[in-house]
Amino acid sequence: MTDLKSKIVPTWCPGCQDFVIYASLQQAIINQKIDIKDLVIVYDIGCIGNMADFLKVFGVHSLHGRSVPTAVGIKLAHPELKVVVVGGDGGVYGEGLSHLIAAARLNIDITVLVANNQLYSLTTGQTSPTTPKGAKTKSTPKGVESVPIEPEGLIRAVNPTAWVKHVSCQKPPEVTEAIEAALKHHGFDLLDIDQLCVSFGKQLL
Amino acid sequence: MKRITVKIAGPAGMGIKSAGLLLAKIVTEAGYYFADYSEYPSLIRGGHNTYQITVSPKEVFMADKKANLLIALSPGHEEDGKNLLKIPLSTMTMQLGGQIYANTISIGAICWILDLNRENAKNIVTGYYGDDPKNPEAFEIGWGWAGTNAKKNEIDKVKDNGDKGSIMDGNEAFGWGLFRGGCNFFAAYPMTPATGVLHFLAKNQDKFGIKVVQPEDEIAVANEATGASIAGASAAVATSGGGFALMNEAVSFGGMIGAGVVYFVGQRPGPATGMPTWTVQGDLLYSVFSGHGEFAKIVLAPGDTQECWECGWESINLANKYDIPVIVLADKILCESSKNIIDPEKGKVEVIKSKKIIPGSGIYLYNSYEHDEEGFSTEDAGIAKKGTEERLNKMKNILKIEKYIFNFYGSKTARNLIVSWGSTKGAILEAIRGNSDMAYLQIKMLWPLNKEIEKVIKSFKTKILVENNATAQLGKLLRSEMGIEFNKTVLKYDGRPFFPNELKEELI
Ligand SMILES: Cc1ncc(C[n+]2csc(CCOP(=O)(O)OP(=O)(O)O)c2C)c(N)n1
Ligand code: SF4
Ligand SMILES: [Mg+2]
Repeated sequence: MTDLKSKIVPTWCPGCQDFVIYASLQQAIINQKIDIKDLVIVYDIGCIGNMADFLKVFGVHSLHGRSVPTAVGIKLAHPELKVVVVGGDGGVYGEGLSHLIAAARLNIDITVLVANNQLYSLTTGQTSPTTPKGAKTKSTPKGVESVPIEPEGLIRAVNPTAWVKHVSCQKPPEVTEAIEAALKHHGFDLLDIDQLCVSFGKQLL
Repeated sequence: MKRITVKIAGPAGMGIKSAGLLLAKIVTEAGYYFADYSEYPSLIRGGHNTYQITVSPKEVFMADKKANLLIALSPGHEEDGKNLLKIPLSTMTMQLGGQIYANTISIGAICWILDLNRENAKNIVTGYYGDDPKNPEAFEIGWGWAGTNAKKNEIDKVKDNGDKGSIMDGNEAFGWGLFRGGCNFFAAYPMTPATGVLHFLAKNQDKFGIKVVQPEDEIAVANEATGASIAGASAAVATSGGGFALMNEAVSFGGMIGAGVVYFVGQRPGPATGMPTWTVQGDLLYSVFSGHGEFAKIVLAPGDTQECWECGWESINLANKYDIPVIVLADKILCESSKNIIDPEKGKVEVIKSKKIIPGSGIYLYNSYEHDEEGFSTEDAGIAKKGTEERLNKMKNILKIEKYIFNFYGSKTARNLIVSWGSTKGAILEAIRGNSDMAYLQIKMLWPLNKEIEKVIKSFKTKILVENNATAQLGKLLRSEMGIEFNKTVLKYDGRPFFPNELKEELI
């Protein structure tokens, strides 16, 4: 079994479910026998994006919100590559939502994995586009006023043929299985993964 | 008469620009040189649109402001009525079955007045408009009308009728240059006056083998181009000031990770949406200082259509050689005015490929965070300092190696030196034509600034700065970088370019 781990020990908080996504992604790549030479992972900026340092693959730790267009550029320039995006709800559904919609419309063959913890965690716990209405976060002490985005429905509305799925880190084998299915699928795919932020997200449970 | 300026005016939608380019083709085939200039409001229909063309047996660097011959394609476009050629276009077009022939009738009349060869001109008209037999007919009607109603206004005849190359605008010339330099990925979001690059490359994408895309916004444009560059492509984008503002974080990203992308910026008057179809040189300092943080970048400015072509391949090569963002500053005048340039397919052009690690050639992390040699994030003081220095040291190499710095015109012993950049070149060359008191330095690489520039400027006693902006941006740069002070500064910032005669007066 090829080792995909880098020299850096993950810095996520103990108990953070980003560890589940980290392990599942490695397992899925190995199970699917993806040649490392053909793989590029583009990471967003955020806690989950920090996975960039913990994997030894060809990677791009892009700008906050811009992981999807960076991945689209790579795929357009080099269509034989397997291109995977790893980002958070803040980067992919907030800062970069227009890019996600455009990629889904184009049905471009990339896999987008979103660690959805309903928070901006790397910046210590502000509201994100998926935080439930009324929830209290550091930036919304009186409760969130907006209704949250529902990623699956949104992307299906944009492109009914796009591959969209929702899983939870509570069930790690399902996460691995879903990532494998996404990697196998040709065309655009979005995997929205429920991920608990143990440091800032307990009030959301 | 040595040279003549013909102006066609009318509402948008009457084929003014297309008739103008037809005329440019006819006079070029007849052996003349030309430069053109068009004015139009940001409208699709209506408004006062003009196309003017200065024709001469000698090379024309910039069209003249004053027209010797004005044609109004419909009532209300007679301007001040001076030099107006009163062609009864409405009766004539009725005969032909449509207002759309007004432009070709006018071309027929102009050709007679300029004493051009009737058959040659008519053949070009026929070829230009393809199948529609009414256009040659319209040409004949115009020619015939002028024969009985107008006076000849001949320009000096041409002696040598050598190869005049191809006619194109700066956007097309730049697109050609990109292609010749090996560009194979181009992204753009439409924005006047740079949209022509997108249209031109989109049309020719198969012929050129360039992947051309129009993403959802300029942020996506810049990040897709950066991704393409990481994947091994030679990537370029085109925009104007507002779009470039949106791209700025990606400019900084490219500087951090070492991924070259060419940013073509067609300047138009700002701030904000400004005046989309007019001209200015307002974004020099913004380009030089674009992108947060301290990193190496190159800023180039072509001065004419030929140099737009040159900057196309020069910029993509520099982006690939140094793996940094390269900004090419053009403006409305360069982007949308046409000239004849050397056949863009001819001439040997070097193609430089980036040596950076790409997928398949190794494992690396392109990291927007500060990083070590494998690309992994670090906050180590020593590595941070070294990383900053490595990124900035590219500037030293550029200054040492690159020769694409400036053009010098005139004598080293002239009394005065004019200094400028970009499209002002045309009006300056016109204004100093035959004046041995004036030398001219046109800076092509505006960042980093080579010491050679300082040497040349400081060797002149009287230094004059000419810029098409309000704040003398090049002057500020030369003062802060080289301690250069100008004796005189000539600025214009009303959305219009400098015209030869008005600049000549300002320079006295
Ligand atoms: C342009 C820009 N704006 C803001 C930030 C600061 N920032 C870093 S991570 C982040 C939010 C991360 O949230 P998410 O994408 O959900 O990832 P998580 O940390 O929750 O895993 C923000 C706002 C930034 N790096 N860049
Ligand atoms: S802050 Fe939250 S999301 Fe970030 S590592 Fe800690 S637990 Fe995980
Ligand atoms: Mg989050």
